[in-house]
Amino acid sequence: MAAQPSLSVPRREADRLAAGGRLATLARRPEVGAFVVMVVVVVAIAVASNGQAFNALGLKNNLSIIAQFGIIAIGATLLMIAREYDLSIGSMIGFAGMSMAMMLKWGLPFGLGPATPASAFFLTLAMTLALGWLIGTIVVRSGLSSFIVTLSFLFFLRGLTEVCFREINGSTQISGLPDFKETSTFAYIFGGETFGWFYDLWFLLGGNVNRAGNQWVTGFDARVAWWIVVALLAWLVLSRTQVGNWIYATGDNREAARANGVPVDKVRIGLFMVSALCATIFAACQVFETNTADAAKGNLKELEAIAIAVVGGTLMTGGYGSILGVVFGAVTFGLVANAVFFIPAIDGSYYRVFVGVVLLAAVFLNERVRKRITGGL
Amino acid sequence: MAEPLIRIEGLVKRFGPFTALDGVDIDIYRGEVHALLGDNGAGKSTLIKILSGVHQPTAGRILIEGKEVHFRSPRDATAAGIGTVYQDLALNPLMSVTRNFFLGRELYRGPPAFGLLDMKTMDAITREEMRKIGIDIADPSQAVGTLSGGQRQTLAIARAIHFGAKVLILDEPTSALGQKQQMEVLKTIVRVRRRGDVAIVLITHNEVHAKLVADRFTFLALGQVIGRGTRSDLEHEDIRDLMAGGRPIGDLARELAAA
Repeated sequence: MAAQPSLSVPRREADRLAAGGRLATLARRPEVGAFVVMVVVVVAIAVASNGQAFNALGLKNNLSIIAQFGIIAIGATLLMIAREYDLSIGSMIGFAGMSMAMMLKWGLPFGLGPATPASAFFLTLAMTLALGWLIGTIVVRSGLSSFIVTLSFLFFLRGLTEVCFREINGSTQISGLPDFKETSTFAYIFGGETFGWFYDLWFLLGGNVNRAGNQWVTGFDARVAWWIVVALLAWLVLSRTQVGNWIYATGDNREAARANGVPVDKVRIGLFMVSALCATIFAACQVFETNTADAAKGNLKELEAIAIAVVGGTLMTGGYGSILGVVFGAVTFGLVANAVFFIPAIDGSYYRVFVGVVLLAAVFLNERVRKRITGGL
Repeated sequence: MAEPLIRIEGLVKRFGPFTALDGVDIDIYRGEVHALLGDNGAGKSTLIKILSGVHQPTAGRILIEGKEVHFRSPRDATAAGIGTVYQDLALNPLMSVTRNFFLGRELYRGPPAFGLLDMKTMDAITREEMRKIGIDIADPSQAVGTLSGGQRQTLAIARAIHFGAKVLILDEPTSALGQKQQMEVLKTIVRVRRRGDVAIVLITHNEVHAKLVADRFTFLALGQVIGRGTRSDLEHEDIRDLMAGGRPIGDLARELAAA
C-alpha cells in the first residue's frame, strides 16, 4: 500500500473499497468490458467499410440485426441473473413464427374463421407464454437443471414446428403472405418502420440522399423500437423495483432469498415466460416485416443470446448482470454478424471465430470483475 | 425477578427412536445474554430449531410473555418476535448492503412487486440501524461480499432487530471468524444487550466468549440440562468441565493418556 490513511481516522474494514476515485468506480461497473469491445468493433468496422456500415442504409440494416439480437439477449440475461438458462429461445422463435404465419394463411384453429394480425399474434403469444410457464414449472417442481429441461424443449419445439408445417401446409416454409403492414396498424407496429423523423432530419441536413437526389431511407425497422422498449422496461424492473431485487437474490443465494420470503419459484417461472415473450416479439417482427415464415427460423439464436448476455457482463453463476452491458453486447454481435455485407473481402465465417474469441475473453473478464466487486475477499 | 420473556418447560423432541431433547427447562430474560453451551450432539441445534419454528416439539411448552405459543413454520416464529441468525447468515454476497437488509421486505411506492424502490430511505435506515450496533457503513450500496465476516454478522443482527425481533438467536456467531472479527461480533452483542429490550440466546462452543458476554448460562449434554446459573453463580465453577459433558478435565487427560 503506497498511500497511508491519516492517523486520526482509524482505517476500517469497510473503507478498503472506498480508496480510488470516480474512475475506479467506473471501472468496477459490469458493462465496462462490453463497452470497450463495442467501441473497438464500431471503429474497426467503420474504417474497414469506408464508413459504409454507418451510412443511412448501413445504419438501418445494422440496427435491424442488432435489435433482433438485443431483444432475445435481454430475456436470456434476466434468466441468467436468476441463475437459469433457456436453450429453447431459438425453437420458440421458429414455433411462434410458424404459428402466426400459419394462422394468417390458413385461418385460426378450430374453425374460428380467418385470422387478423392481432388475433394471430395474441393467440400465438398465449401459447408461447403457456410454454414458458410449463418450462418454468417443470424446472421449479422437478429441481432439474434448466439446461436439460430447456434442451429438451429445443428439440421438442423445433420438431413440432416442422411437423405442423408439413401436416398443415405441405412444406416447411410460407411465403407470399399479404403485406399486412400496409393494411393493419397492428402489423405495422411489428413489421413497419419507426423513428422516421431521424431519417427525415438527416435528409433535411443534407445527407441520406439517393442517386436520384431524393430521400433515400425513410426509417428504422420497427424492431429497433421494440428493442428499446424491452431494454428500458428490463432495466427499470431490474434496478428500480422489488421484483428486480428478487431476481438478483434468486440468482445470488437462492436459499437466503427463500429464507427472507422472496417468492423464488414465481420469479423463475415468470422469467421463463418473459424469455418466451421476447422470442415471440422477435418472431412477430420477422413475420410481419417479411411476410414469410420458415421452420428453420431462430436456429442457434438461444446460444447467441446467451453469448451476448455473457459478453454484456452477466455472470454465468447468476446474481449479477447489467442490461446496459447487454445492449452493448448486442451492438457488438450485430455489427460483426453483418460485417460481411459491408466488407466483401472477408469471409462471413469470421463472425463465429470472433464470437468464440470474444466469449472466452468475456468469461475471464467477468470473473475478474466479480472478484473486484466483492473486493476479492 | 421479572417475568421471563421466554419460558421453555419440559421440552422433549424425538426423531423416531432417537431422543434429541429430554425435558429441557430454560428461562430467557429481556436485556440479557443467555449462553447455551454444550458439545456437538448435546441438543443445542434441535432446541434453536424448535424455537425458530423449523421443528415442532414432541412434548413440553414454550411461553412468550406468559402466553403459550405453537410455531408451525419459521414465519410464525418470526411473527412472534424470534429472530434467528444462522451461521450462513442468509445473505447475498453480490448484492448491496441495503438490498440485503430489506430483501423480501423492500420499501416501495406503487403496486406490490413492481412498485419503485425507495432506495434513499432504505439506505438511510440501513446505515442508521448498522450504526446503532456499532458499524458505520460508508457506502450502503457496496456489495455484501466486500464486508468482513464480523460485519456480515452485524448486518444480519441489525436486520433481525429492525424487523421486530425481541429475541435474537445467534447460532455459533464467532465460529469461522478471525480473532479481530470475533471481537467485533462480541462488541455487537454487548451493544444489542445494552438496548435492554432484546434478549439474546448465544449458542457457542467457546466458553471464553460465553464468559465474556453472557449473563446466564445453560449447559446441555445428551439432550438434558446438566448445569445452569447466572454469571455470579458460576464464578468458581469450571465451565470447561460442564462443556465437556460434566466430566472434570482431569478425567479427560487420563483418558487421553490411556489412548
